[in-house]
Amino acid sequence: MSAVATIAIREYRAFFQLPLGWIIVALTLLGSGFAFTNATLIPGQPASMRDFFAFWWFILAIIAPAISMRLFSEELRSGTFEPLMSSPVSELSVVAGKYLGALLLLLTCLAPTLAYVLVLGALTRPDYGPIFAGYLGVVLAGGLYLAIGLLFSALTSSQTLAFLATMFVLIGVELAIAYGSSQLPARAARAVSELSANARIADFSKGVVDTGNVAYFAIVSAWLIGIAAIVLRARRWR
Amino acid sequence: MIEVDRVSKQFAGPVGGVMAVRDVSLSVLGGAVTGLLGPNGAGKTTLIRMITGFLTPTSGRVRVCGHDAIEDSGPARRCIGFLPESAPLYPEMRVRQFLAYRASVFSVPRSERRGAIDRALERCEVTDVQDRRIGQLSKGYRQRVGLAAAILHRPPVLILDEPSSGLDPAQIRALRQTIRELASEPLDGEVARATGLTRRVVLLSSHSLPEVRATCDRIVIMARGQVRASGAPDELLEPLRAAAAWRVEVSASGSQPMHLAREVLQRIGARVLSCEATSDRGVVARVEMHGSEAVAALAASEGLPQGAGGAGGVLGHPGEAIARAMSAAGFAIRTLAREEPTLEDVFLAAVEDRVAASSTVDSRNAPVLPSGEVP
Repeated sequence: MSAVATIAIREYRAFFQLPLGWIIVALTLLGSGFAFTNATLIPGQPASMRDFFAFWWFILAIIAPAISMRLFSEELRSGTFEPLMSSPVSELSVVAGKYLGALLLLLTCLAPTLAYVLVLGALTRPDYGPIFAGYLGVVLAGGLYLAIGLLFSALTSSQTLAFLATMFVLIGVELAIAYGSSQLPARAARAVSELSANARIADFSKGVVDTGNVAYFAIVSAWLIGIAAIVLRARRWR
Repeated sequence: MIEVDRVSKQFAGPVGGVMAVRDVSLSVLGGAVTGLLGPNGAGKTTLIRMITGFLTPTSGRVRVCGHDAIEDSGPARRCIGFLPESAPLYPEMRVRQFLAYRASVFSVPRSERRGAIDRALERCEVTDVQDRRIGQLSKGYRQRVGLAAAILHRPPVLILDEPSSGLDPAQIRALRQTIRELASEPLDGEVARATGLTRRVVLLSSHSLPEVRATCDRIVIMARGQVRASGAPDELLEPLRAAAAWRVEVSASGSQPMHLAREVLQRIGARVLSCEATSDRGVVARVEMHGSEAVAALAASEGLPQGAGGAGGVLGHPGEAIARAMSAAGFAIRTLAREEPTLEDVFLAAVEDRVAASSTVDSRNAPVLPSGEVP
């Protein structure tokens, strides 16, 4: 088994050996259950989960920082960072392993919500295309959010600081776009709105799997993971 | 083998940063336990972190079993079993699960993993807690689990940073025994062929002198980022031995035995460091005296046959000179002993920028060894 998989599995299991993982899953189910019953499961509404997915950027903005905050901050604080970085594993493998472990937890949070799809399928005849595209959008946006959180976690030994900084960026960007872009000239506003993960999730939930959107999430996430690896390497040069 | 070649490490910071290690060169060989000794902040941990590849040196090179610690870091790190200070472990993991994780990180082949874990558990006497969570273990157990994780992949190089800190005396003794065994046992044929070593290289750091004295065959003393002295404990003690003081306790019936004792001692050329009367009509003196002075003193003193100690240099022995002079003056000798220099003296001399052989070394707190007593 490669080092990346070893680290990913350890990270994933650690979430459930601590209360944290269970709390995050519970929190997600609470939020998504609320979104499903209040935005989707309404008599007379079309059998679409578009409004359900619209709620997800908010859920992600809370759970992604909660998942990512401990990835490196905990190792830095407890000192396990030293044996980890003294083992024969490259910085990129460590970062990739941790990222995959976190992504696996996000998928675990998301998996039970497929029950809503079954409920919807039992009651009506939904169009499954946009629903699965919506899930893809949530996973990709979640991946980006986790990458942002991973980078902050590599920068500080304080989990609280990593959590708050990540959430600040995630919520701050969306708020700035929602309320700030009206003040900007049309062209600039459009450029800024490109940064919005929320808008891109909305595209997915309409059933539009735009390569541009997929590439945006994938490239920016990969880029942030690369920066996190550089941060780890720079720690050797302190 | 660990080769450290002119390594320096400067940490970034205000006003030019901190030079934690400056221009250190040393090589650590197999089959012996080498102790890195120094006060807190001497640069021991920084040096170890550069050897393990956790930190990159500002200048200089580190090679572990022939692999450059930076350019060839993978194979170099694979050669090392490392126990960092205070054995940081994942508290949520179970002991066996943690060792399985480490085995995987160090690419122990899957088929050998089970055996390797069992062996390490047994070796470090943690088999009975293998299914417990690490966070629930006592400090002593955690330290041993850390050591088990370090030796799991049977590394030719073992590096332990302050391994005994926080352990009780019984645990320290057991750990010492394990470390000595790990240094003396022959390496696996395959590892031995690949590294050219027959026995393991063991490097441990400590600020505890008794520990280093009891565990190590070779000592490297560091202070303020530099190596101040290195060698076998006896080699380090030798320069101090010549300058060691003598302790003389005598009894007398005269009226002012203290003054007389001082006078006699000074007459044979001894430097009297202290001279005090005891409550039981005795006198205790500490004197410094060298062999050559003793020869001169005896030759000059009356009533002694000329050249009595010519063969074997018996008369050149300060103890002999003191004993004869005191007896001749009517004192009864209760104790006569050389104060053996201790590693503490070597350590203080090295740390305080004094030359190891300097005669200013104070051995006041040194124990009086029974072997030096004259009946």
